[in-house]
Amino acid sequence: MILRALSLRPALRRPLRLVVTVAGVAAGVAAMVATVAASRAAVWAMREGVVEVAGEESLELTAPGGAPTALLGRLRPLAADARLSPVLEEVALLPGTGEPVKVLGLDLLTVDTLADTPPLPHGTLDIEALVGRGGVLVPQPLAQRLGLCPGDELLVTARSRPQALPVAGVFAPQRAASIWSHTVVMDVAAAQELFGRQGYLDAVRLTPRPGVTMEALRARLTSEMVPPPVAVGAPRPRAQGSERLLRALEFNLAALSGISLLVGAVLVAITLATAVVQRRQVIAVLRSLGASPAQVSRAVLAEAAVMGVLGGAVGVLAGGVAARGALVAVRATVATAVQSAVPATAIRVDLPLAMVGVGMGVLVGVAAALLPLAEARSIPPVQGLRGEPRVYLSPRSRRRTALVGLALLGLGATLARLPAMAELPIPALAGSLAVLVALLATAGLAVDTFARVEALPPLRRAGVLLRLAAAALAAGRRRAAWAAGAVGVAIALAIAIATMVHSFRATVLAWAEQGLRSDLWVRPVAAAGVQVGRLHPEVVAVAEELFGADAVDPFHLTEVRLEGHFIPLGAGALEVVARHGGVPFRGGRDGREVFAETLRRRGAVINEPLASRFGLREGDVLRVEAPGGILERPIVGVFYDYSRSQGMAVIDRADFLAHFPDFGPQEVAIFLPSGTDPEGARRRLLAALGDRFLVEVFLNRELRREVLQVFNRTFAITTALQWVAVAVAMVAVATVLSALLAERGRELGLLRALGAGRGQLARVVLAQGGLLGLIGAAGGLGAGLAVGVILVKVVNLQSFAWTLELRLPWAGILMTGSVVALGSLVAAAAPAAAAWRLAPAEVLREE
Amino acid sequence: MAALLLAAMTAAEVWRTVTAPLTLTFPADHGAHPEHRTEWWYVTGLVETPVGRRFGYQLTFFRQGLNPGPPPPGASELHPRHAIAAHLAVADLAAGQLRHAQRLRRAAAGLAGFTMGDLHVWVEEWEMRRHQGDALTLLAGDRAADVSLDLRLVPTRPLVWHGDGGVSRKGPEPGNASAYLTWTRLATAGTLTVGGRTFPVTGTSWLDHEWGSTQLGADVVGWDWLGVRLADGRDLMVYRLRRADGSASPHSAGTVVHPDGSILALGADDLQLAPLSHWRSPRTGAAYPSRLRLRIPRAGLDVTVTPLLLDAEIDARPSTGVIYWEGPVALSGTVSGEGYMELTGYASSLTGRF
Repeated sequence: MILRALSLRPALRRPLRLVVTVAGVAAGVAAMVATVAASRAAVWAMREGVVEVAGEESLELTAPGGAPTALLGRLRPLAADARLSPVLEEVALLPGTGEPVKVLGLDLLTVDTLADTPPLPHGTLDIEALVGRGGVLVPQPLAQRLGLCPGDELLVTARSRPQALPVAGVFAPQRAASIWSHTVVMDVAAAQELFGRQGYLDAVRLTPRPGVTMEALRARLTSEMVPPPVAVGAPRPRAQGSERLLRALEFNLAALSGISLLVGAVLVAITLATAVVQRRQVIAVLRSLGASPAQVSRAVLAEAAVMGVLGGAVGVLAGGVAARGALVAVRATVATAVQSAVPATAIRVDLPLAMVGVGMGVLVGVAAALLPLAEARSIPPVQGLRGEPRVYLSPRSRRRTALVGLALLGLGATLARLPAMAELPIPALAGSLAVLVALLATAGLAVDTFARVEALPPLRRAGVLLRLAAAALAAGRRRAAWAAGAVGVAIALAIAIATMVHSFRATVLAWAEQGLRSDLWVRPVAAAGVQVGRLHPEVVAVAEELFGADAVDPFHLTEVRLEGHFIPLGAGALEVVARHGGVPFRGGRDGREVFAETLRRRGAVINEPLASRFGLREGDVLRVEAPGGILERPIVGVFYDYSRSQGMAVIDRADFLAHFPDFGPQEVAIFLPSGTDPEGARRRLLAALGDRFLVEVFLNRELRREVLQVFNRTFAITTALQWVAVAVAMVAVATVLSALLAERGRELGLLRALGAGRGQLARVVLAQGGLLGLIGAAGGLGAGLAVGVILVKVVNLQSFAWTLELRLPWAGILMTGSVVALGSLVAAAAPAAAAWRLAPAEVLREE
Repeated sequence: MAALLLAAMTAAEVWRTVTAPLTLTFPADHGAHPEHRTEWWYVTGLVETPVGRRFGYQLTFFRQGLNPGPPPPGASELHPRHAIAAHLAVADLAAGQLRHAQRLRRAAAGLAGFTMGDLHVWVEEWEMRRHQGDALTLLAGDRAADVSLDLRLVPTRPLVWHGDGGVSRKGPEPGNASAYLTWTRLATAGTLTVGGRTFPVTGTSWLDHEWGSTQLGADVVGWDWLGVRLADGRDLMVYRLRRADGSASPHSAGTVVHPDGSILALGADDLQLAPLSHWRSPRTGAAYPSRLRLRIPRAGLDVTVTPLLLDAEIDARPSTGVIYWEGPVALSGTVSGEGYMELTGYASSLTGRF
């Protein structure tokens, strides 16, 4: 009954408000569900992939730069206790789309391998094609997509060379979304030959035979079987990185989820809180008709819960769809980690996640309804019906509110200075939250202050209009404070996100400007933003022949172990880079000088994430385990690196090739003599490579454009959230204004009766909206910048070890400001129009 | 004789074929002959514990050449040139149970391999090796089958060269032959572990070493082989190559070895081998002769061959691709004896596999 009066009738009368509220809840829930689902899909793909391919119970022997094939023979005494399986993992690219496909090289000529590897067929295999001719087993989904049957050829590029691999069989992955659905299997020897990795394995896998425990197996491994730098461990993702990549990726996505959750929660809270405020009068009527406060509360909370469920359900559905977008945003990271695409089918919004989504909608909704409800309940019915007189805060409560606000700001500042917890920037994020709470807490004070402006001498003459508007705010201060606070938080979030994105973008652009000096950039043809695969060494030879060895900078990458952790070790032609310059270094040192010194001292340069993760600095000695033993290199400089959150060290290419086999570089940078036409040079290079190699050659400006595109894609969701926050601010202003107007109806009617013109009344209402927006914008700007600074200077540094330059997003601030100001006016337009149409006699008669 | 049979990977023409006369030097020719496509070292034996519990055993190493030419430039060292397969079977006569296991690896990276100067062949931890004084050591085991052996074998009779100076013709084409050498009696001692219990054992074993490239004629679907030691001091090896219609190929043959080492070579016409009853495998449905009558008038032999264990079928499809019967047998009749029998081609034809 009450629910009908309170919720149903207004809902039917103003369906738009219902839709906006539900949509608000849905957007918040969707943002959360999307990021969680996407991150889970990516992490799942990586983890499951490892377990699914390696089996639960196995050990792996690995070594930096690859384990030598001869390791197999050393392990022969173990064969009684474990099945020994050589493993090579590489990535081939499908020509055309550049889609990466994982190539798993296994020993297909044993009794065990195929029997151990569930989806692979055994017994009926064409061993001659597989082992004799380097054939592949293709997963059924891929075979279907490419229209392949046994006997056909799978076309791929491996090390940028187009290859046709005979399809020896098709296997059916047992589950949908299995890692196997984008993994082709071939014999380990053929895989080594295909990728130029003769003599090396990625791992030797030991699977205990029946009756042998993992512990017993470990105990049987002697130092003779595992000579340094070979190490024993559980199977791990073999990305071009370390076990930390998984964690970094998880956090990257979790942080995104966190921000989505925050925006989502604010959105839900605002829409529901304003919905309650708006019906202050209805509540008062119900109360005066005898409804008990408890009845009213139940009705309001029930409504909030229903909105929460509705919005949550819609949000969960939308989130499932949006997750694909989120996955695209982290595609580059995912591709590096998984070494293959994450299938869209890996995105699953399962029951627990759906329940969390709906639960979040309900929880935040009810919580958001509680506060304004408490206020509505506490007001005697008569007052609720009559509207309020102007009430100003007492000096004491002004002081108290100010102190609370200051204390919260202080807390925020203190938290932001604390070190990361468990390597995650939890205190800093809590500090950001404290700043936002401070904004909400002091919103009443701000409204109160603004309401007093009519008393200020300069505004005395500002006209009756502003004074009336201010007076109206003072009368409805509590609700106005809600609106101003909501607007403020929304704006703060928008500005904080804008500050972070802008600082990030500006820093990355400056970095790219300085770091990307080469004129041409050669790499295997891969889907945009995906950095996988290598180039054949012959590509380097061709480039050197065309442009001279001193113009060509091939970049190699392998893995080494540092303090027990695998880290990427890169190598470039420092002689070339020293002439042309490159990435910016910490302390503002000239890159050319640093590279020249590195070359002279046979040293290393490391990136910022490595420096901060391992506490290394210029002058320290980098000790990594390499195939030949420990490699010790003085650290000559620390460079900024925004392309990876993993630590990486870089040495000279000649130094590198003295210790590691040349499997081919990841990419090749070419510096042309000044005055050379890069377009022409690209044509010459492509012509020289002919159809033997399938490579992409980027001009400098194209590469920069791509860097920007990757950046934009990565931050697409964040940017979308920024605009969601702005929209929230507008919705908040609109709902509260119309509520206030409804309350002030009598007063406006009186003003009309006293001779005020329609236009004047409308302007009063507009001014009221403007004031609210102004208060919110002022508070939001301050808080937003504060949170933005925390995000840029603390959160990023703690989670990714990236030093970012703080750049104020003037354009973003201006845009947010004007959108909100405009929005406030537009939001006020409807109430203003209502004021315009107001028939004074009617309003007064109601009295 | 035996059953190796990885799928043929290349045309056989490029593999060297075995032709008479054979010149061999030892110990080098105890080792591998990788220029030939197929080779095996096939040990069977009967041993017993000090309290008389009897076991039959078989340990075979096969080398299958996959590619006769030199490795292509840039080939991986794992690029398979030869595969080594091995079968281990222990017949627990008291329990009436056969335990068997198999291994298969490419001969590369030290995980499986062979030597050419002497006999040493291994796959994973299993190995067979010749030492000073022609002593051989055998080592093999398998956790899943819960069986292992560690034996030392010393020949007590000279090496037998079968056929025409060691060249054993198996088909009509000039290349249809193998080099075939046997130590018919090897004193055997060591340990056998079966079902978690380790037994010290002693007994007598038999080793066949055979190599060639295209041995069987096109019409042969399988063979019945017998290697037995007779109570009168003679040793006997016979094989009957079966054609699709069940008749014996004219290239069936055998050898009688006298206690002084002298040899009587037998041709197809000297042998009469006929099944008296059959045993059907419950797993594969294949029907194997279970008792056979063997008559060799030239050697004065008329005996019944009886398996000591009926179910001695070995499913070696994962390693050599075949299913065969291989188990200990006893002879009764004009003379008694003991040894091993092998029956192949009953589950499916071997045509084209050899």
